[in-house]
Amino acid sequence: MLAIKAENLSKTYAGEGAPVTVFSNLSFELPVGVFAAVMGPSGVGKSTLLHLLGGIDNADTGRVEVFGALLGGLPPRERARFRNDRIGFVFQFHHLLPEFTAEENVAFPHRIAGLPAAEARRRAAELLERVGLRERRDHRPRALSGGEQQRVAIARALARGPGLLLADEPTGNLDADSAGTVFGLLEELHRERGMTTVLVTHNPDLASRCDTIYLMSREGIAPAPGSSGGNRTDP
Amino acid sequence: MSYEVFIALRYLSASRKRAHVALISTISVLGLGVGVAALVISLALLSGFQDRIRAQMAIRSPHVVVLPERGDRLADPERVRQALVALPGVLSVEPLVEGRGWLSTESGRTPVPVRYRNVSEGPLRLAGDGVPPARLSAAAASRLGVATGSVLRVLSSRTRLSPIGPIPIAVLVRVVEIRRGSALEKAADIEVPEATARMLGGLATGAQAYEARLADPEAAGLAARTLAGRLPAGYRVRTWRELNAPLSFALRLEKAVIFATVALVIVVAALNIVSNIALLVVEKKRDLGVLISLGARPGSLAKIYLVLGGLIGAVGTAAGVAVGVVASVLLDRFRAVPLPPDVYLMTHVPFAVHPREVVLVTLFALMTAIAAAVLPAKAASRLAPGEAVRLSR
Repeated sequence: MLAIKAENLSKTYAGEGAPVTVFSNLSFELPVGVFAAVMGPSGVGKSTLLHLLGGIDNADTGRVEVFGALLGGLPPRERARFRNDRIGFVFQFHHLLPEFTAEENVAFPHRIAGLPAAEARRRAAELLERVGLRERRDHRPRALSGGEQQRVAIARALARGPGLLLADEPTGNLDADSAGTVFGLLEELHRERGMTTVLVTHNPDLASRCDTIYLMSREGIAPAPGSSGGNRTDP
Repeated sequence: MSYEVFIALRYLSASRKRAHVALISTISVLGLGVGVAALVISLALLSGFQDRIRAQMAIRSPHVVVLPERGDRLADPERVRQALVALPGVLSVEPLVEGRGWLSTESGRTPVPVRYRNVSEGPLRLAGDGVPPARLSAAAASRLGVATGSVLRVLSSRTRLSPIGPIPIAVLVRVVEIRRGSALEKAADIEVPEATARMLGGLATGAQAYEARLADPEAAGLAARTLAGRLPAGYRVRTWRELNAPLSFALRLEKAVIFATVALVIVVAALNIVSNIALLVVEKKRDLGVLISLGARPGSLAKIYLVLGGLIGAVGTAAGVAVGVVASVLLDRFRAVPLPPDVYLMTHVPFAVHPREVVLVTLFALMTAIAAAVLPAKAASRLAPGEAVRLSR
């Protein structure tokens, strides 16, 4: 079964000068349960692809199906609910809301889903414990290290138990040790929860630890030579 | 508490720590507060004056009047009197006999046009020498240069037949009271006992109208409706409010114009709220993108900023109402603004805070503040989340 089926995606941004076409007629499929790395030079549209796969941006042409649901066909309310329930995002910069504590940040997906505040915070505390930040749950993001901030962001992305995790260079802004810790955590959680994970990274070492590697270029996206091309390789 | 309100509250409390946002938020709150306070004080000032004018209306005007539909006298005055007496809460029922004439001193100095009417004799002390007593308006007294105790000649516009033909009806009256009025009140009038008025008007029996005073002037409308049902056709029933309708309308218009004018301060203050919220939308663009990625609906983002507008509005309005009400009460209690009593019939500027008006100002300010947040809130809801997250690195 496919977790992601993207067909003929095109995306052009209207820049200050001439419009910039990021990619056109890009197709991509990923089976359920795969931990895939996407690599490629800057500017080829890796982040844009994640945004289209997660439904926070719309393709100019083409269609995206996630777990069989056509994202473009969902009304805005349903699409938001789908994103809340089924898709988790981790960004290169933690993007935690600075006015809120770690626990409050992790509780947001539950609050958005309509859970009472107390229940949302209880679940958030459990997840923070899982990522090893129980003691830091009342700290604001600025009081946390870069690695801790990213672990909180991972906890937030996984709060609703999504089937698909989209991680956009989550280690790109961290030192080697922190990057290793964060990636290790992502790996553990991926296996533990049976998720499908798409990880954009520039780090070949980390990519090599994924089930499969896709290379993205101006021409499109394709499995790296020697990679399993989306067929899951169990650890 | 919904998460939108939770976020709005946190944004507002956290904005104190960011100097530029705190400054604009403070200006927004102060602007709104000043506008609300100005409006509350202005309305209290107007209400203070208007309450006194309305009280004077209720004192000086009959509360219910029955007039003939046509002609200058009632067809069946006794029936009208009985219908009025039967009304609940009636204090007095008097016939009305009035007319126009000229007033001069006994020596015949230049006569002054005057309107005479009957008044119940209660308030007028009868003079001992058989000369009918009269209550003179201050305007007439000043024009004739007379004082209490003076004897005046009232010459009616009506005539009576005499052996030498029709001659004007003239009556001597003694001024027993001068009715104090505003210096701006120029009409000359004189109130005399019913018998004197009948003599001047050539109206031995009957009445031109019947007037009743009620224990509760506010019940005049109901009394008038009851009366209209009990009287046959050919009569008009008027309440004191209807008799003073032009003045009442002028007072309401004055208040509406003042409200609309001073409320512009609130509207201007609301423009600060627009910039305040717009700044927050720009500053929190990344957060909005993140919230969308977490599953928030665009409408929820708009709600955050509408709540923020409402919160800023609530703080500013509460401050403005508190300042406005306290200032109005103190200005009235300590008679802070004196007035020349010979012009205004009162020694100080009165301020009266009407709860209904305070509620109106509060609602207006809150609605304006929320309306001011609509535009930036819409902008927030239209935000492209992918772009917000992508550009905010």
